[in-house]
Order: sequence, then structure tokens, then C-alpha cells
Amino acid sequence: MSLAARLNRLLLYVALTVAAVIIVFPILYAVSISLMPPAEVNTFPPRFVPSTPNWANYADVARTVPVGRYLLNSLVVSAAVTLGQIATASLSGYAFAFLRFPGRAALFALFMSTMMVPWEVTLIPNYLTIRSLRLLDSYPGLILPFLATAFGTFLLRQFFLQIPRELEDAARIDGCGRFRFFWSIALPLARPGLLTLGAYTFLNTWNQYLWPLLVTNTRLMRTVQIGVRFLMNEEGMQYHRIMAGVVLCMLPALVILLWGQRYLVRGLMAGGIKG
Amino acid sequence: MRGFRRPFLTLWALVLILALLAGCTRSGGGGGAGSDGEFQKVEIQPGERVKVTFWHAMGGVAGEAVDRLVQRFNSSQDRVEVEAVYQGSYDDALQKLRAAGPEGPTIMQVYEIGSRFMIDSGMITPMQNFIDADGFSTEDFEPNILGYYTFDGRLYSMPFNTSTPIVYYNKDAFREVGLDPEQPPRTFEEFKEYARKLTVTQGGETRHGASIALYGWFFEQFLAVQGAHYVDNDNGRSARATKAIINSPEGERFVNWLKEMVDEGVAINLGRRTAETQAAFSSGRVAMTMDSTAALGNILAGVGDKFEIGTAFLPRPEGANGGVIIGGASLWITNTRPLKEQWAAWEFVKWLTRPEVQAEWSIATGYFPIRKAAYDEQILKDWHAQRPQFITAIEQLRSSPLTTVTQGAVIGTFPQARQIVEAAMESVILGQATASEALAKAAEEITKGIEDYNRTTQAQ
Repeated sequence: MSLAARLNRLLLYVALTVAAVIIVFPILYAVSISLMPPAEVNTFPPRFVPSTPNWANYADVARTVPVGRYLLNSLVVSAAVTLGQIATASLSGYAFAFLRFPGRAALFALFMSTMMVPWEVTLIPNYLTIRSLRLLDSYPGLILPFLATAFGTFLLRQFFLQIPRELEDAARIDGCGRFRFFWSIALPLARPGLLTLGAYTFLNTWNQYLWPLLVTNTRLMRTVQIGVRFLMNEEGMQYHRIMAGVVLCMLPALVILLWGQRYLVRGLMAGGIKG
Repeated sequence: MRGFRRPFLTLWALVLILALLAGCTRSGGGGGAGSDGEFQKVEIQPGERVKVTFWHAMGGVAGEAVDRLVQRFNSSQDRVEVEAVYQGSYDDALQKLRAAGPEGPTIMQVYEIGSRFMIDSGMITPMQNFIDADGFSTEDFEPNILGYYTFDGRLYSMPFNTSTPIVYYNKDAFREVGLDPEQPPRTFEEFKEYARKLTVTQGGETRHGASIALYGWFFEQFLAVQGAHYVDNDNGRSARATKAIINSPEGERFVNWLKEMVDEGVAINLGRRTAETQAAFSSGRVAMTMDSTAALGNILAGVGDKFEIGTAFLPRPEGANGGVIIGGASLWITNTRPLKEQWAAWEFVKWLTRPEVQAEWSIATGYFPIRKAAYDEQILKDWHAQRPQFITAIEQLRSSPLTTVTQGAVIGTFPQARQIVEAAMESVILGQATASEALAKAAEEITKGIEDYNRTTQAQ
């Protein structure tokens, strides 16, 4: 490698490192604040590293909020919603991409139009439905309204459209049924799409605040975001405790994101180009 | 009281929409609200354990204190069993209340500016009904605190968490520039003068003399300090308010005073949230600020041993003789639950007002005790001995004359009004409008909101 090329590469890495540090900084700073005693949070010039790690903040959070239970609740709900959405979106996406039936375009347009309805509008009707089904304060109440979305259908349809129709024709000639084609050929080919949708849905559900707050009433049915909100006081922010809570609640989501990240980037780009 | 209100403006809008919807569907649910004289006490027998649900918006240390008190109450007797449920911010909780209908709570905590809305909702039984039927005495209660929640001479809800704003200042900074740390500024002029002296630039870094959040609550306070009303009909207390009158000389004087200090560079504008000014004060970057009395504990912890903290009354123009308005929230008993449950709720509310409970609540949260007898409790005396800064808060509250000015304004659209005033203050500080222009426009907007609200609620 020539000197110029090496220098180029070095510069590139320096630039990338700087960018990475800038992007990771808020998370590192949150971790750092979560370990500070209160008087160190507000200082000038600002401190970025606690003088001695103050683990008591985490103990405080664990005492105030049943963190383990909230993580479990969020995990159950997010996982169920994610699996459910992948199931419904892949089936409907496949139908819109491969099946020919009368009114397909109109039906698809109708599907898409629901994306224009802001979720705040459906919040109360959904609440009343869940209430009349007597599902308040239960996992089904937290999960049911989010099992199918137009966005997921749209996203997976775009992926299925990339699969050549000839492939289906060939499979059909060899005696492959519709479901078998869907299951053994179309789904594996759309794997990046499934994972993209999965990661996106998981994070969205994980971050829900208002819906879980509305439909749950007992302390033990609450989810992590409500737990974090409970750490905030109306009269002033105790950032050290809030950040300790945030770090605890962020960890699982962060793991999922790191794992699903490459699919997320690849998936959204692929969908976008074809779109 | 503060903090998370802004992003939830849309929620407030939703709450109002729901109020209209609910108004259509549940007529006839408003029993109890207006039917006085008939209200009978329901006795609860020992061992009955009548279940009462209590929805609140207290997070952090205050939330923990609520849980502790509820536990204590439940184990102290076997007639009533309270379940406290945290429902997010004040706005979240209110939205949920509207949606819940019959599944709602027996006791509901609502912020002070939601009072008009609660009365108009037809969902509540006035606290006075229980007080009268039970022969309960409120003689020993702080009149300035009861005043806010008293409408037409009747107490509608029980004050729960109460605070007022005070000035916090850095005593070390005072000493450093030769000011007497025991003589905080008392007038607008003095405050500006002090801010000038306290503004010090060293090594390219400036410590500003003051920073005051552009917070609608403060605007209301400074009107009251000057003896001015916020809306007509005596702040909406002699009759329903019909228009905002914030573009008064008093309103303009306050906003201009802020602007002059910012323009001169002796105060710094850190936006609308007190979280920001609190952080700047705690780090020593600002020598004087304004914040809730209930923020004292948080500020003490945030400052640690970096410097000594003093507290003072809100400054006022020379000769002004008004006072402060309380902020915070109160407890409402709903009429959507059976009468027996409402009486069980009253048992808990009554227990909360006990002097020893009030003392404990005040120590845990920094809110005012609502009755005077609490100050005789030894634990509260000891606590105040360690935190003499809190004495200022009590003195300021007690020296406020109780009039319709310091009782505070009552309008159904207060959350929006606050935002409108904040936007107006911001536009003046940023030099986009003069105080008289901005406040006139704000008054007009608020008036329109009040008109719409009155039309929809009176139509029912």
C-alpha cells in the first residue's frame, strides 16, 4: 500500500472515530451521570466522569421501581407485538405482492390510507374497545391493538415485489402450493425485510408510553417507560436517578438494536431503492 | 406543578374533546355536585375494608412518600383500603380520568389550574359536602391555601401538594462582590442592581447575576404580587371569567423588567423551563434564580457544599402590596363511584390532613403543610432548624393578603393560557415585539379560548 493510500485510510478512520464518539456521547454521558452523586451533576465546567462511581443511584431506582418486573413486562409485550406483526404483515404483504384478485389496488390503497390516521385519534376508541373486552390490566390489552399495521404490510410487500414472478411460476409448475411457496421460498428471501420490521416494531413497542399508561392500573402491569417517568418529580429533575433508570431500561433495547442494526440499515435501503 | 406540561398540550386538547363527548353520553351522572342539604353521611363499619382507588401524578420522592402514607393509613385501621396508582404527569392522569368513565378512581389528584375544568366536568362531589355532613373543622387550615380551592364560599377539593415560588440566591457570590448575604433584594430596582453587581466576567467566562425561567406560572405570580388580576370578574371568582386582562401596566412592568435585565446582560435567558435555571444556579453559573419552594430539597442536594444558599421573597415594584398565589394540586372525590366509596375516600382525605401526616408529607416532599398545627410537630421543627431557607417560604405565604388576586384566576383553559403567555414573554425577551404588543395579543388569544370554553360548557 502506498503512503498516500495509507494516509487516506488513516484520515478516514480518524474521521469515523470522531463521528462515532459524537454519536455515542449522549449514551456514555447518561451512563456517567447515572454514577454521579447529585452535587456533581451540575458543575461548571461540567464533569464527564464521576469522581467515584456512586452505585447507590441504581439501588435507589431498584427500590422505587420494580425494575425486573417492568423489564419482563416490556419484553413480553414487545416480543409478542413483534412476532404478531411479522406474521400478519408477511401474509398480507405476500397477498398484495403475489395474488391477483379483484379490488386489489383499491384494497391496498385503503390499507395505505390508514397510515395517514394519527395514532392519537385511535387511542380512545381503542381504549374503549379494550375496556369493553375486559382486557384492561392484562398482556392481551397491551398487545392486541398493535398486532397488524399498514406500515408492516407496505414494507414487506416491497420486499416480496423484488422476488421475480418467474420464481413463483417455476415453483407452481413443479407442484408447489401457494403456502409452501410463501413459507419455503418467499419468506427466506425476504429475511432482511422481516428482521427490519422486527427491529423497528420491537423498539417502537419498547418505547410506548401513553398506551400502557392508559390500559394498565396495577403497579406490576406497568412497563419500563412508565417506570422511568415515575422517577421524575414535578418540582425538579434528579438527573442522577433518572439516568440510572434510563440506563437500566435502555440496555435490552440497545442489545436488540446492535444485533438487528445491519439488517435495519440494509433493509431500509433495499426497500427505499425499490420503493 | 411543572416540567412536562408543554409536550402534552395536544393531550390537553384531547381531554377537552373527551369532556365534550363524555358530557353528551353521561348526563344524569352529575348527582351530588349541586344537591346540597340532602347529602347524608354513610357510616363504614370496622372490618369492612371498603376499597378506594386514588390516582395521582406524584413521581420521584413525592411518589414514594404517597406510597408510604397510603401503606400507613391502610395498616392503621380496617374500615378503608386505599390503592394509590401513579398515572403519569398531571395531563396524562386527567386524560385517563376522562377516558375511564365508571372505571375511574374515587380520589383524583388534579393540578391547581385544572380546578375550573373539574368543577365543570360534573364528575365530582364537592369536598364541602363531606366537611359539612361530617362536622369537620377546617379552622386551623392555612387560609391562603384553602382560598385557591374555594369557589362561591365552598371548598371543592382538598389541597394536597402546595408550593409557591421564591427567590434562591448564592450567598457566597453575594459575599464575593461585597453584598450582605442576609439582605436579599426586595424591589425590582434592587434586584436589577444586585444582578448588575453579581455579574462577573473572569477568564472569558461570565457568571450572570440572575436567570428567571420564562414560565407562565411566574408571570401569574408577579401580577399577583403587584395586586393585579389575570382575568375579569375578580379573577373569575365573583362570576365566570369572560376575558383575560394580562395586558395591564402591571403585566407590562414585569415583562419589561425581565427584558431590561437580559438586554443589559445581567440576567440570562435560559428558556421556559425551571429545570434549566435550576441546573445553572446549582452549578454556580447564575447567582439568583426563581423556583418553587418545593424545589428546595432538590436544589440543596444539587448544590451540595459548593456554596451556601439563601432564599427570599419575590421582588416587587416599590409600594406594591399584593402577594403570591399557591400552586400545586388538590384531591377531588369523584361522584362516579357509589356513595359508600366516596365516604371511604373522605376518611382517607381527612386522615391526610392530620398534623403529623402533614408534617411527614412536608418533610418528604418540600410542599407546605396545609394546616398550622403541623408546625407544632417536633419533627417539622427539627427539619426547619436544619433548613432555615424554608422559613422564607412560609413567611411569604402568610404575609400574602387573601384577596381574589392571591386566590388566583380560575379559567377552564389555563394550560393553554400559560403557553400563550410564555410565547408572549419569549417574543419580548427576543426583541420580536414590545411588551404591550405581545401581551395584548396574548390577552386576545386567551380571551378567545375562554369564550370557546364558556360556550361549550354552558351549553350543556
